[in-house]
Amino acid sequence: MFFFFFFRRDQKQIAFTVAGTIHPFRKTHRSIFGKLLQEFRLVASDRRSWRILLFGALNLLCTGCLLMWCSSTNSMALTAYTYLTIFDLFSLITCLISSWVTMKKPSQLYSFGFERLEVLSVFASTVLVQLGALFILKESVERFMEQPEVHTGRLLVGTFVALFFNLLTLLSVRNKPFAYVSEAASSSWLQEHVADLSRSLCGIIPGLSSVLLPRMNPFVLINMAGALSLCITYMLIEINNYNAVDTASAVAIALMTFGTMYPMSVYSGKVLLQTTPSHVIGQLDKLLREVSTLDGVLEVRNEHFWTVGFGSLAGSAHVRIRRDANEQLVLAHVTNRLLPLVSTLTVQIFKDDWTRPLLSGALPSSNPSSFTSSSVPPGAVEGYAGLSSSFSSSSVPAHLTSAGGDLDPLTSTPSKLTSPPPEFSFNTPGRNVQPVVLPAPPHHAHRPYGVGAGAGMRFGLGAAGAPSSQSYRTALGGSTAPLVKVITSSSFTKSPL
Amino acid sequence: MGIGVEVLIFSWKNNWEHLGAGGKGHIMSKLTRYLVLLLISKVLKALGIFESYDILKVVHIVQFIFILKLGSAVILLFFQKPFSSGKVISKRQWIKLLKHAVISCIISLLGFFGLTLCGPLRTLLLFEHSDVVVIALLSVLFTNSGGGPSKTRGAAFFIIAVICLLLFDNDDLMAKMAEHPEGHHDSALTHFLYTAIAFLGVADHKGGVVLLVVSLCLKVGFHTASRKLSVEIGGAKRLYALDNLVSAMVLLPWVMVLSATTESKVESWSSLILPFGMIVFSVMILEFYVESICSAKMETPRCARYGTISLFLSALLLANFWTHPLTDQLRSMSKPPQQDSTEHVLSGGVLVSAIFFIMSSSILSSPSKKGQKGTLVGYSPEGTPLYNFMGDALQHTSQSLPRFIKDSLKQILEEYDSRQIFYFLCLNLAFTFVELFYGVWTNSLGLISDGFHMLFDCSALVLGLFAALMTRWKATRIFSYGYGRVEILSGFINGLFLMVIAFFVFVESITRLVDPPNINTDMLTPVSVGGLLVNLVGICAFSHAHSHGGKSCSSHDHGHSHHGHSHSEHSHGGHGHSHGGHGHGGHGGHGGHGGHGHSHGSGGGGMNANMRGVFLHVLADTLGSVGVIISTILIRQFGWLIADPICSLFIATLIFLSVIPLLKDACEVLLLRTPPEHEKDLNSALEKIEKIEGVLSYRDPHFWRHSASVIAGTIHLQIMSDVVEQRIIQQVTAILKDAGVNNLSVQVEKEAYFQHMSGLSTGFQEVLAMTQQMESMKYLKDGTCIM
Repeated sequence: MFFFFFFRRDQKQIAFTVAGTIHPFRKTHRSIFGKLLQEFRLVASDRRSWRILLFGALNLLCTGCLLMWCSSTNSMALTAYTYLTIFDLFSLITCLISSWVTMKKPSQLYSFGFERLEVLSVFASTVLVQLGALFILKESVERFMEQPEVHTGRLLVGTFVALFFNLLTLLSVRNKPFAYVSEAASSSWLQEHVADLSRSLCGIIPGLSSVLLPRMNPFVLINMAGALSLCITYMLIEINNYNAVDTASAVAIALMTFGTMYPMSVYSGKVLLQTTPSHVIGQLDKLLREVSTLDGVLEVRNEHFWTVGFGSLAGSAHVRIRRDANEQLVLAHVTNRLLPLVSTLTVQIFKDDWTRPLLSGALPSSNPSSFTSSSVPPGAVEGYAGLSSSFSSSSVPAHLTSAGGDLDPLTSTPSKLTSPPPEFSFNTPGRNVQPVVLPAPPHHAHRPYGVGAGAGMRFGLGAAGAPSSQSYRTALGGSTAPLVKVITSSSFTKSPL
Repeated sequence: MGIGVEVLIFSWKNNWEHLGAGGKGHIMSKLTRYLVLLLISKVLKALGIFESYDILKVVHIVQFIFILKLGSAVILLFFQKPFSSGKVISKRQWIKLLKHAVISCIISLLGFFGLTLCGPLRTLLLFEHSDVVVIALLSVLFTNSGGGPSKTRGAAFFIIAVICLLLFDNDDLMAKMAEHPEGHHDSALTHFLYTAIAFLGVADHKGGVVLLVVSLCLKVGFHTASRKLSVEIGGAKRLYALDNLVSAMVLLPWVMVLSATTESKVESWSSLILPFGMIVFSVMILEFYVESICSAKMETPRCARYGTISLFLSALLLANFWTHPLTDQLRSMSKPPQQDSTEHVLSGGVLVSAIFFIMSSSILSSPSKKGQKGTLVGYSPEGTPLYNFMGDALQHTSQSLPRFIKDSLKQILEEYDSRQIFYFLCLNLAFTFVELFYGVWTNSLGLISDGFHMLFDCSALVLGLFAALMTRWKATRIFSYGYGRVEILSGFINGLFLMVIAFFVFVESITRLVDPPNINTDMLTPVSVGGLLVNLVGICAFSHAHSHGGKSCSSHDHGHSHHGHSHSEHSHGGHGHSHGGHGHGGHGGHGGHGGHGHSHGSGGGGMNANMRGVFLHVLADTLGSVGVIISTILIRQFGWLIADPICSLFIATLIFLSVIPLLKDACEVLLLRTPPEHEKDLNSALEKIEKIEGVLSYRDPHFWRHSASVIAGTIHLQIMSDVVEQRIIQQVTAILKDAGVNNLSVQVEKEAYFQHMSGLSTGFQEVLAMTQQMESMKYLKDGTCIM
């Protein structure tokens, strides 16, 4: 029956992925086992996964023995401890899944790839163990009513077998997803207490600081603590025949399981909920503030940043720009700022009132196009020079000439650098909620925003020149080194023409 | 304001160092004097408590307290002179004093009654904690600003110690007393307390432990509340003196009535004068004065720590030697030796709990490190560090509990789904508690365990309720899309929950299949019929909610209803339906009621994973009670004991099969799969996008369902250089909106973008990637040009 459980779970985990990747449950009902087998072969082709499979088999054997001993000793605490062994089994499966994930490319249906499967399986295993602990709690409450006899014959043997196998599995299999989660998640109460105790212990014996002070591995910790409480149980039952200790220590192990697993399931659950990880928020705020001070950018809104798998960030944002700003240039700069942090990035540039003809038509858009298509000189270095000159020229002088006389009164409100962005502020969540809460489907972006022609539009002529050229120059000033690469790229672009 | 108040702290560490440099030795010697005084007073107090336990065997408890109060009042009147010195006490203050005295009488009654139940050692361990310790304990337990893990550990030790006393303390005499709780009682009061304890269903000594813990909390609350009065009256000592006097007067009528109606067991009061004098001196007078002096001279926590430790240790020692033959010989000079010398002896449980109590009181009374939590801002001109206390140190405003409950109830009742879950949860809980109480009443273990099982199931409902509530929270910085996805996660967790339940039922039934036990079917039928009725109500409610949800969903997706629907029924709905049909068939055969609900449920598409999970839970429960009824009938009629495991095996399989579609759907959403019901629309929309004039190609199209109502998408478009970007964005947005995507970001790229990017990027790899993208664009452009 234990085998059944393992098998079912394994099948469940892989069945989703398999069926999802190849053909999502359309016509492949009959060959689901064939697909399963195929994926299994794929995983098994790697030598490293053989080791995981070996440990999995060992673990199954151990779990089977332990469950048998559980029913023979009639001990709740040993059952609770056995669930930790089952959790090890889950973590091995997670490990297999993560090695499968690395072999898979994103498909059309799962366009972000399968990295999230790792997260999902971490989440599922931690939640399953917690549900098991909940079950233990319920059973223990029932046992407090009527405490049955506990036989201690196999209790200690079972404890040490389980401890040995758990530690062996934990220390010899490199479990990438769980290692990541246990590092990244907030520390459990068990860890905190141990840290607190060892800190005070180090106050007495300073020599132990190198051993005790670093953060403990939560899995090792809970295994040790569970084994300790089982030993105490054994002693008390042997010496004084306190059978209720067994139930109490089952409750203790269940609570420790909760404490250990809860931060991890919260962490992985937050990834699954597509939330912005709180540790990158500061960095993101900094970048977005930089973006909102770029020349031409009026505000950034609808910004969504979330993690795809463990680590890689994805996101999208809507950037509202001035009517006369160059969309592609702003896009390039925004992308350039955000791309190092956010690897899958989509930036939608939008302008208010872009249909209004008074803005000398296609000038902002045609200007770079003319530059790219025709004005790139054949000389590569000159191409770079042209590039740099176009940065300054396309934004500033073009408008000076084109936007000419009739827009003069409007040119006095350009300074983006001195005043904070009007409707966008990162540090005040109360204010920030509002643009996000707006159901803001993208087509809303086109509604006329500025009511008066002058109030909404800010044409930076005088002041826009200085910051823009400055910022662009700094951006380009750093890129003197890759000059050669730019040369190659522009020569590449040249060749098909 | 959000600006933390800056607090200058001349750090007490520095202070200590200064002191240490100056006159540490002097201060320490001074402190040692007080410490020794404290220790002596505590030892005497322990002695007094032990003595009073012996006296309480012969003297009635009310008389005992009266004598104590009167004696201490006389001594205190002599020392304090409350009437001749200080302000005149007004009438209102007298009334307050009366209330104070009544409450203090009640508390000391409870305390000494606990003493008669538990014996002196356990009473000292439980009742004599200082206020600091108890307040720290309560703040750990009931507020979330406990003060770090060490305080939590202290609280855990305290609780473990109490549990040790409750469970592992094999007190022989207590067990004897528990056998005849309705034996001879001295008075109406003790009789009442005995019956109250017996009503709670615990043995006497455990009742005593509970009583002592409760009265400890009462005592601490009383001390805290009486602080104001002591200021009004003019000092704690004056209050204490007056309080003793008034209590003695309050108790006087009762004592008169008692001594008139009952005959005393005391042979000679004169032989009791010395013990009483000793008790009055050690328990009432000396301890009070020493406490007040020590807490004035030392810090209260340190005083509390040393006092408690010395008290407990001396209690342990006394408990060891009190009933020792040697002591008996010593005492036999004045009194005849007692027969039952083995009462309330030391046991392992008491020892362990005493150790835990000592540890917890030393941890809890140690000064909290909270004060150091402020962040170091800098140094003042004098060189002392400046700290800045933000947030929780100063502005600790917590919502009051009734208000919080009211608000959340209002929120729950606002929406249909959560209201439904809430009502059903209430029904379920009511049934559970009826079952539990009836089980306790009739002492039927089966009923109680079934009640706990129901509670276990209720946790799934609570989860669903919480998720339904959370779904409506406003989007925040972290949850930038809003909380809608919580619903799906909760559906997933509920699915896992059901899997676990199915697994346990499966394992249980396999073990029963091997060895079918005898089942007592008497109690089973009414309970399972009741459960069935409750769950049928739930199924009706949730199937309605289910169809309701489906309807709202379809009306929401109105624009694309035709394509989407036919598609979903074709590929995905069919699968779900086959499974659903399976479960429903199994159920309909038995109950004949769920057919209506389920056809609605799977037809509506069931986007609301949370409600689906809850519904499946209720369905599984229904199946369980139906299975129990059937197996009961089979066992009764035909004596087939094997019917029970087979039924549960069947149920486990059904639950398992019915959960799979839910889990599969939730997994797909969590893995950001392209929503299957919009797949075709999206493909055609992408084709349309490619055909828009000026669009060269698209890359990285990501579409995923975020929550029931939000389908998000991002796409990158490459367009020709002479096209206006905003027009393309508008068109693409419109097309994808028709396909169901309502949260879209379109990145429009021209060739210029790649050139800018290659100019901006610094790494070789990035430049190479950009170049390649540009290459492909060129190629496409050429292709379109050719066409």
